[in-house]
Amino acid sequence: MQVWTKLFAKSPFKPLIKHSDVVLQTVETLERALRLWYEENYEEMEKVAIEVDRLEDVADRIKEEIRDSLSSKFLMAVAREDVLIYLHMQDKVADAAEDTAKWLLVKRPKDIPSEVKELILQMGTESIKAAKLVHEAIVQMDRVIESGFIDKEIDREYEIIKAIESVESKLDGLDTKLMQLVFEKENELNWGEGFYILNIARTLSNISDKAKDAAERIRLMMNK
Amino acid sequence: MISVDPWLLITIILGFAMAWAIGANDAANSMSTAVGAKAITPKQAVLIAGVLEFTGAYFFGKSVTETIRKGILYPDKITDPTVLIYGSIAALLAATIWLVVATKFGLPVSTTHSIIGGIAGYGIAYAGLGIVNWDKMAQVVLSWILSPVIGALMAYFIFKALTKSIFESENPVRSARIWSPFWIGMAFVVIGAMFYIKVLHGSDLKTGVIFYGIPLGIIVFIFSYFLIKVRFLSSDPYTGVESIFKKVQVVTSGYVALAHGANDVANAIGPVAAVYAVATMGLAGMQVPVPKWILALGGVGIAVGVATYGYKVMETVGKKITELTNTRGFTIDFSAATVVLVASWLGMPISTTHTVVGAVIGIGFARGVKAINKDIVKDIIISWFVTVPIAAVVSAIIFKVLMVVG
Repeated sequence: MQVWTKLFAKSPFKPLIKHSDVVLQTVETLERALRLWYEENYEEMEKVAIEVDRLEDVADRIKEEIRDSLSSKFLMAVAREDVLIYLHMQDKVADAAEDTAKWLLVKRPKDIPSEVKELILQMGTESIKAAKLVHEAIVQMDRVIESGFIDKEIDREYEIIKAIESVESKLDGLDTKLMQLVFEKENELNWGEGFYILNIARTLSNISDKAKDAAERIRLMMNK
Repeated sequence: MISVDPWLLITIILGFAMAWAIGANDAANSMSTAVGAKAITPKQAVLIAGVLEFTGAYFFGKSVTETIRKGILYPDKITDPTVLIYGSIAALLAATIWLVVATKFGLPVSTTHSIIGGIAGYGIAYAGLGIVNWDKMAQVVLSWILSPVIGALMAYFIFKALTKSIFESENPVRSARIWSPFWIGMAFVVIGAMFYIKVLHGSDLKTGVIFYGIPLGIIVFIFSYFLIKVRFLSSDPYTGVESIFKKVQVVTSGYVALAHGANDVANAIGPVAAVYAVATMGLAGMQVPVPKWILALGGVGIAVGVATYGYKVMETVGKKITELTNTRGFTIDFSAATVVLVASWLGMPISTTHTVVGAVIGIGFARGVKAINKDIVKDIIISWFVTVPIAAVVSAIIFKVLMVVG
């Protein structure tokens, strides 16, 4: 009876993970770009930063596909709204990475104090760590459902969410530190460089902000 | 020299056609969860389902036949034997036509609804609404509502218990070794009890459970316990547990097929038995037990249906359902089979399809299935409600035509 093939709707989780894979690639590519930026290998960096932009486009397309296929007519193990908002947030992570890449592309700075560069790199590593954890969180969410929502898997999921939140709050601290540092060094920097640095910092902390929002949605998925 | 009544011959042919239709589109359900979860191939499913449907029909299918045959209409209001003959033919033909049409459109209709509609239809056409035993009809309708609901509840709790007992434990692999045999054993407790009631014609459920079900369950438990101990080597608990249930599912699917055969063969052979009773001993003979060869006829019909058309269905299922894991498949089968067998013991004509759909939804509510298409559920429920009236109207028309030309 054909009913068996129609009764089960396509689960949104595999496509969500597919989207997350691309988001992960996007942030990992940004991480590479940031390191090249730190090493002042601008030529290579530009190529990598452009790749970030391309990956973000791919993520966008997958997002649209998922949105179109996620009918309200499904009875799902998690609320549809949570899935859609989660997807939005997950996509925002890639958007934020793309924003950073764009800022990296606008200028080839020369005399940025090494302390500042150090801090930016640190912020990047941390923020991207949060984004990588989101990938882990959505893979774990699939496992939570697979297990039939048993406590052990839910607990593991909460640990990942907590890790994301702690990275995010750590990044808030680094952000403040960088702002202070920029003003301490205001004599060594011109306004353009200051503007440039603060914007990179802002877009970088945005990545972990969005990662945190995504994690928040996963938390909501578990308490239906 | 035995002379065969030509009407009996026609009924036998129609009964076989009906059994074929049951096998073609309903029997595939019993195996579809196992095929969907990739526990067995469509070919294996056809073989297992065919054999077990026949076994179920032949050995287990008796008292339900009586209920459908006699329960819906007041038999004493049919004094003319030709009415019973034409009526049975009309009911069978209507039900078969509706099943074939529904299958063509992919509608999940119940064979039980179809035949009850057919019987009620000719009855009403003959003697008006008063001939229908509405109390019985209400009980039947109630069981249609109850069977998916009970199927859903049962599946919900079995799924919860299963995940709690295995995945929630400290050592899921070790728990799986003990608890999987336990659940298999439970399935066989039910099978054993039903064997006592259906085959040995016992009437006391307690005796069946204590002397047949529990011993059989224990034997199966021990057997599967050691089998799993030897064969289960996986280090990942999820993969390991699923691999256990992959094998268990073959057993539970077989159990569903057996239950389905026992329960639904009556839909095809009930009217045949009614005509047989007229042909051999007149109307008074309605109390006659269903002869074994008629049950065999139904069993073979179902098996042929599985082999000829069910194969196609299962192949599609195997390719398309990817959202079903083996533990879910097991839970659906176990719940459905238990509900069907218990209902069958109570003499209630229930639909396997309803119970299985109910079980799927129950697991959905337990958040065990990632996504269920609500629209299809709605279609299914609508089809449950239209089947009886449609089969009734078609049967009434055929009956009227037969009365004029016959």
